[in-house]
Amino acid sequence: MTVDFVLRSWNAWAPGMSCHEDWRKWHDHQTFAQQEKAALPAAVPKVLQRRLSPLARAVFNAANGCIDSDKSLPIVFSSAHGEVNKSLEMLKSMQKGDEVSPTAFSLSVHNAIAGLFSIAYANHQEITVVAPGQDGIAPAFIEALGLLQEHHNEVLIVMYDEPLSDFYPSLPFALNAPAICALALKVSLTGSGLPLQFNRSPAHRDDGEQALQILSFIKFLVADDETLVLGNHRHSWEWHKK
Amino acid sequence: MENELKQLIIDTLDLEDISVADIDSQAPLFNDGLGLDSIDALELGLAIRKKYNVKIDAEKEDVVKIFSSVSTLAEYIEAARG
Repeated sequence: MTVDFVLRSWNAWAPGMSCHEDWRKWHDHQTFAQQEKAALPAAVPKVLQRRLSPLARAVFNAANGCIDSDKSLPIVFSSAHGEVNKSLEMLKSMQKGDEVSPTAFSLSVHNAIAGLFSIAYANHQEITVVAPGQDGIAPAFIEALGLLQEHHNEVLIVMYDEPLSDFYPSLPFALNAPAICALALKVSLTGSGLPLQFNRSPAHRDDGEQALQILSFIKFLVADDETLVLGNHRHSWEWHKK
Repeated sequence: MENELKQLIIDTLDLEDISVADIDSQAPLFNDGLGLDSIDALELGLAIRKKYNVKIDAEKEDVVKIFSSVSTLAEYIEAARG
């Protein structure tokens, strides 16, 4: 089955990268700046700012470029590992016999960033958080395209991941991001933008988990390539510029 | 005591842009005043237990009254420490 949709707009953040032009330049050399924090959108209330981790700041920064702050829309967030580094820190402090911080716990769950986002933007629309496991970025598209079929005009997809702590084995999995990265895509079935087709591919691929696939998708957006195929051992998926 | 408590609130809750002088001892801590929320109350309860060895039991105490301002919180801690 092939699904047609329109990419209305996109925005991505990684250290040193904040606009399409930055990403076009990145496409040639593919390195990131070290240690840069994403700027916070003006819409984020002061009391919430202190709760935003570097990963959350990246998500807010990327998403803010695709939304009107006075207009709510359904959002599909997708992250393979979420704030698991925070959970690891808590487990380490429990091992030492310390008490766990309630704030740290509340911000460590998989939908923590989505929760903060919905509060900051007073977004009461349907918000889903996908944990795609080894399946990469495709599950977020499937979820968002499903919402569009249910007559939502526009859906925002926000994919994000950060480098995992050395504590976790990255081999034999291809899962580790070179840097924090967040990609926001506003999609619809009609309207102006980049028309795309999405379908299953019979190809057997080894493109790694979401952290790596996000970068492949950004490359596809800034390059002249007409087709992108991504998969990670199991199913593979194809995006085609019409 | 009140200033010490204000510093504890600032450090515990990452209130980066706020100084001790900015917090009014009589002003409400939650919602309107500093704009703190229920997670902050839990975090503050934990910090007070660690620093003053005073446990605020939500089952037995009137937590809304105790946490209503820096002044009421300081009074409670001083009384509890004996």
